Amino acid sequence: MSSERLVGHLSVDDSARRLRNYRYAEERLMRVLGGWIALTPELPAKLLFGRHVWDCAQHADAWGRRLPELRAPAQTSEPANDAMIAFMQLLESPERPQQTLERIAGAYGVLKSHLVTVYARHLVSTNPVYEPPTRRILARCLEEERRHAAAGAVVLDRLIRDDHGRERVATWQRSLLAALEKAGGVTGDSAVPLVDPALLGVAPEVVVPDLVAVPPDFDPAALPADLAGAADAHRRALERGDAAGAAGWTETTARDAVAAAVASLGGRITGTRIVGLAAIGRQQMVKLRLESPRAVAFVQLRWTPTPSGWRIAAGDLVSTEPISAVP
Amino acid sequence: MRARDVAELKVEQRLPPFPDLASHESIRERVHGIMVGELQAMEGAGRTVYDFPDAPWEFTMDMARQVWDESRHVETYLGLLEHLGGRVGEFPESTILWRCACAEDAAARVAGVNRGLEGLACDVFNQLIHIAQKIGDPIIEKSVDYVLADEITHVRMGSRWLNELTRGDPERRRKAIEFQETIDERFNLGGTRQDGHHEAVPISIAKQARKLGGFTDEEIERLVKSTQRSQVY
Ligand SMILES: [Fe+2]
Ligand SMILES: [Fe+2]
Repeated sequence: MSSERLVGHLSVDDSARRLRNYRYAEERLMRVLGGWIALTPELPAKLLFGRHVWDCAQHADAWGRRLPELRAPAQTSEPANDAMIAFMQLLESPERPQQTLERIAGAYGVLKSHLVTVYARHLVSTNPVYEPPTRRILARCLEEERRHAAAGAVVLDRLIRDDHGRERVATWQRSLLAALEKAGGVTGDSAVPLVDPALLGVAPEVVVPDLVAVPPDFDPAALPADLAGAADAHRRALERGDAAGAAGWTETTARDAVAAAVASLGGRITGTRIVGLAAIGRQQMVKLRLESPRAVAFVQLRWTPTPSGWRIAAGDLVSTEPISAVP
Repeated sequence: MRARDVAELKVEQRLPPFPDLASHESIRERVHGIMVGELQAMEGAGRTVYDFPDAPWEFTMDMARQVWDESRHVETYLGLLEHLGGRVGEFPESTILWRCACAEDAAARVAGVNRGLEGLACDVFNQLIHIAQKIGDPIIEKSVDYVLADEITHVRMGSRWLNELTRGDPERRRKAIEFQETIDERFNLGGTRQDGHHEAVPISIAKQARKLGGFTDEEIERLVKSTQRSQVY
């Protein structure tokens, strides 16, 4: 065997430190994705995170198990430096329901894509004679992170609705990358670029197991024709500001409550849309989205069949928020 | 909506308060409810991974695994809903499972969620498999059977971590079990969950599945007794 084959880049101790850096990133990411599931309203994103928490846990576990073989304590994580901790804190900071784009862009577009870059570079530099135990873990983590990053890109693409969304994603990724550069990447000494697009490509069919086919958005055609007629007439009255007309669709006992729910929008109604329909026996809950120049409100109206046709028997406000809160 | 309000509105219309699985529509409603429950189970397990960074690593691994399992359960029930001609959102659902998952202590959370709620899931899935066999629907039967196997695993995780997290701390253990028992009582499904064969009672307590999940005979006996003084959730 030529001595060429025994050339190595990292000492055992340096290798262990690097693995602790990886473990830190994978473990934090696992926890952050897990915590985000409940904070994320969109089903495709929720299920994307749900799919990957376990993979990240296994990556962290594999690095943690390898450590004692490198004369280091098992299952310990170590951030490369304080700037890396600051990067992780920034990454996990978008917690509001409206910040799903930032969550996916950060976890998948930045951190996972960076891990792919770092793992791929590390893999080619490891020694094939004495480092195969590390190489096997690298190969597995690389393959899975690459798949994750690709799945994240697919879901992100699906959720970005316009140029504003694209701009939000680009801005957020720039600030995260700047924070990651300050840290020198997950290992503190990663070369730039921290994300190398040339290392990221996967065939679309490889990503399929990471994506759950979710049902399409609500289609108002689900309303039975007679109810659709009544519900449309009611919301047109709201759009016209015709309080008496709207009240005509509401049973006397429910008028005050329904009017109060609608009034919580605080301002002239500029648009309405039916966004949900759920059956309680023969009654139907219709969820209405109301918009004013300043706010969006969701109101739930319970329609009930009566001898004179469908009428609103009850209604409450689900939520309201200023337009400015919608990024 | 609160589950109690939905149940009342149905009773007012002379309908059973909970899906009784006597019709195709009723099975669909049950499957819809389970799908939403699985979502909340995934959210809850995810929160547990996040909320307890100082818990033993193997505990975190179990919870992370559970997140993945629950994501498959959601996918399974989305598929079953489609199989039954339903759509997401067609029935009102509550967030009661999620609210129950919000215990501050990790031991209470695994007792309440993994043993209380997932034990309930075992009862419900066992019944659904029985109905699927009866109506000759192998799609429901097979897929729910796999979900049930996962849930038994989750109950077993709960049994293990209830013991390990409270070792040497009887007070913590007592509180965790008390939390589980409040959940057991709350979810007796209007008294429909009982001891007995599928044909004799509305929802049969899945004793075998629970034993596989680490329930003791004494615990099962206590659960059976609690169903005799049930309440509607
Ligand atoms: Fe489940
Ligand atoms: Fe479960």
